[in-house]
Amino acid sequence: MFFQRLISAKLGAAMVTATALTLTAAPATATECIAPSNPGGGWDFTCRTIGRILTELDLVDGNVQVTNMPGGVGAVTFAMVASERPADAELIVATSTVGITQIAQGRYPAPLDSMRYLAMLGADVGVIAVDDESPIQSLAELNEIMVNDPTSIVTAGSSGAGGWDHIRLLMVADAAGLENLSDLRWVQFDGGTDAVTQMMGGQIDVVSTDMGEIAGFVESGDIRILAALSDEPIPAFPDIPTAASQGIDVTGYNWRGLYTGGEVTDEEYAAWVEKLETLYNSEEWQTAATESGLVPIWRGGDEFETFVREQAQIMEDISRDIGIIQ
Amino acid sequence: METLSLLAGGFAVAMTPLNIGLLLMGCFVGTLLGALPGLGPVNGVAVLIPLTFAFGFDPTSSMILLSAVYFGCMYGGRISSILLNIPGDEPAIMTTLDGYPMAVQGQAANALAISGVASFVGATIAVIGLSLFAPLLARAAIHFGPADYFALYILAFATIGGIAGVDPRKTLLSALIGLLLATVGIDPISGVPRYTFENYHLFDGIEPIVALVGLFAISEILMLLEKTVKDRTKAIPVGSWLPQWGVIWKTRWAMLRGSGVGFVAGVLPGAGASLGSFMAYVTEKQTSNKKGTFGKGDPRGVAAPESGNNAAAGGALIPMLSLGVPGSGTTAVLLAMLISLNVQPGPLLFERQPELVWGLVASLYMANIALLVLNLPMIGVFTRLMMTPTWALMPIVAAVTFVGVYGISNSVFDLEMMVFFGVLGYLLRKLDVSLVPLVLGLLLGGDMERNLRRAMSISDGDWGILIASPISITLYIMTAGFLILSVWLAVRDHKQAQAERMTEG
Amino acid sequence: MGVVIFVVAALYTWQAGDYVITFGDVLGPSVFPVIVGIPMMILSASLVVFPTGQAEWPAPQRMWRQAAALAVLVGYTILLQPLGFPLATFALIALIGIILGGAAWKATLLGALMAPALWALFDQVLGLPLDFLGTLFG
Repeated sequence: MFFQRLISAKLGAAMVTATALTLTAAPATATECIAPSNPGGGWDFTCRTIGRILTELDLVDGNVQVTNMPGGVGAVTFAMVASERPADAELIVATSTVGITQIAQGRYPAPLDSMRYLAMLGADVGVIAVDDESPIQSLAELNEIMVNDPTSIVTAGSSGAGGWDHIRLLMVADAAGLENLSDLRWVQFDGGTDAVTQMMGGQIDVVSTDMGEIAGFVESGDIRILAALSDEPIPAFPDIPTAASQGIDVTGYNWRGLYTGGEVTDEEYAAWVEKLETLYNSEEWQTAATESGLVPIWRGGDEFETFVREQAQIMEDISRDIGIIQ
Repeated sequence: METLSLLAGGFAVAMTPLNIGLLLMGCFVGTLLGALPGLGPVNGVAVLIPLTFAFGFDPTSSMILLSAVYFGCMYGGRISSILLNIPGDEPAIMTTLDGYPMAVQGQAANALAISGVASFVGATIAVIGLSLFAPLLARAAIHFGPADYFALYILAFATIGGIAGVDPRKTLLSALIGLLLATVGIDPISGVPRYTFENYHLFDGIEPIVALVGLFAISEILMLLEKTVKDRTKAIPVGSWLPQWGVIWKTRWAMLRGSGVGFVAGVLPGAGASLGSFMAYVTEKQTSNKKGTFGKGDPRGVAAPESGNNAAAGGALIPMLSLGVPGSGTTAVLLAMLISLNVQPGPLLFERQPELVWGLVASLYMANIALLVLNLPMIGVFTRLMMTPTWALMPIVAAVTFVGVYGISNSVFDLEMMVFFGVLGYLLRKLDVSLVPLVLGLLLGGDMERNLRRAMSISDGDWGILIASPISITLYIMTAGFLILSVWLAVRDHKQAQAERMTEG
Repeated sequence: MGVVIFVVAALYTWQAGDYVITFGDVLGPSVFPVIVGIPMMILSASLVVFPTGQAEWPAPQRMWRQAAALAVLVGYTILLQPLGFPLATFALIALIGIILGGAAWKATLLGALMAPALWALFDQVLGLPLDFLGTLFG
């Protein structure tokens, strides 16, 4: 009978893998990286890439086990770590600006300081873009329109109202002197590319989003970048001016980083920061990050903790200003 | 001849050893799934989606694997139709009408061979149509604004009414249930959690894959439990291994007509393979049934629906790839897979990921060839697999779907949702409510709502924007035309049925 | 069933009114649910008043089998983490097999073979972690 052959074949495979299991048995306390999303997204990339390189560089014993735990834009994982594994030093969790925005707007079941933030290892740089045929030639011209006639333009990006793409545009508008931030119209699209193609089709005027996703349109000349929201010009596009160089002191990174439980000891925390710094300086990470459109940027330990707190505060203030939270 | 060079590039992408391996595996597994009673392309593709994640294939490879499964199911679905009078999947229902009588007359080999060749012809014509017309549709892409997308979704949901189903109200209700489910979760535009009942697991919305597996696979177990345990182990005389090529040649026009009808049906969103095979059969019956042989083992009655369902299956890929609108239940599943892989199907897919599109088209050509070659020698094997008793098959299906979902999400909550959707799917099936519109609603509802709201944000609250572009106006006219046509057809059929009753009475 | 759908649609539409946002979104999060909910109420009401088709519900004895199968499926979701994957899946396959009419020893054997095979396939071959022993076993 075919079916019985099928069973015996499966059983054979099971026995082979069972043998393999006993030979490569990993220690019970293997390092685990939780990606609080389904496979395929940015958090998943963070865990899988960092996990792979940690192993390659022998910074951890054995393999790093990557677990996907989607739910509530990271809230499910955050709640689990806070309640069940706050002292587990073998556990790291991927996070990013998106996660901090959620916390700042009170959408996680626990406060920011229930975790210890380890490091950021890279970031996507926020940019302000217009169509190549747009009459708006510079950030100064855009600012003039935003301040004097905010209802005349339609702005868009890949986040919803109060999301990071929206907030960093408002940070620019705020620095330029726009009084009532809610006068500026905002349209959400599912991704930076969607927003850009809608701009090319003439539906909207200005896009605020990450550089990585839309770099192709910049290369093809379909869109013009008015400003990069970074400290230094983007390595791949040195000619694009930063906002700071145009008198608007705003940075808008979408960084990728990691946190661990809030009750992890100081020594364990310091050990993680050191390992991650070694990883950051490795050629493997620099290559992997650049290939996926990230700019490698390091902030670790106490410096990173401070940075996260400051960023959360800024987001909370802006969210309150525009009425996203009360 | 840009298309040809792109297609050649596609072959280069598809021809990697890994992809060819996946192609063969997909064809084999697909034929297997299609051949099993009650397990069709929708379940087959749904079951395998979590596995492609698990393997971590790139989008091109995943798509090749699942398309091979998709076409494989189309091939496999007819085997049980012909040999056992049990359709392996929905589109294969029409094949039972003439296929089983042929088998009873000792022509099983002929029937199987005809359906194999017809499937090949239908699929090939669909793939040719796909390569010729999809880029045309794709070029119109960039001018589609949010208001136009909204009009497109309105058209899609209007044509869903044409899906199989006794009562159009039920079909529409099913679509609305899908739309309702699509609003669960954090609203991406405003960040407000809707219908989440303070449960963080619902914040990301209802995972379409969880709903699909529950609706189709779990409800299948409940459906099976209604039936008495049939003894399906009786031997089936397969008869001669050698088909008569003359008989096949005689059906060539039936195959071509079936392919044409099926392809058009497939391209229409919401129609899909079931309607394709149905239309192909009905058309063939109307043009050729001069001696009244249809339904009594006419080879053309096998050739037409088989070519029709495969042509529709291929045609359905056009709206799915170039507009992001699936044309059948299975393409709805493929769409779910693409979205999960972060591939945004739709007008920009051809521009943004041509290697994926043309790699897929090339792999479809190869899948057709591979299936035809694999097909005939495998008949004996598949007939034996049919003897797998239900008590052994369905528990394994249940376990595989559970582990597939749990292995990805590590969420018991998702498993509970699957069981919930299983019960929901069972109840709706019992009430003659088609599940396909529900899945479409769930998949497309989010985009439909968001595009409506985007349009309103752009216009600052002016509803006039919805009918402000030539594209949206055209789409609304098509929607109106379609609705008028279906009402007219319904009235005509009703009158005919009355007339028949009169003559019978 | 029509009544159930009507009630769900009504609650859904009513709940939609609670979703308000002050800024950044012209149409707001509540309009679309209302657009969906109201036709649902109309359609389900019309199906209650003018029903079509007749559902043939299974005999009570078969319903018991369905209830048993559901109990096994729900039990699986509850016991998966305490028992660990292979043990829970063994029970799932064996019990569903028996409910579907398989001989007890055959279904048990099938479960005993398939459960570890699936665990090995996912945990070992595919790299998707599944607990071998559940929380009950420490």
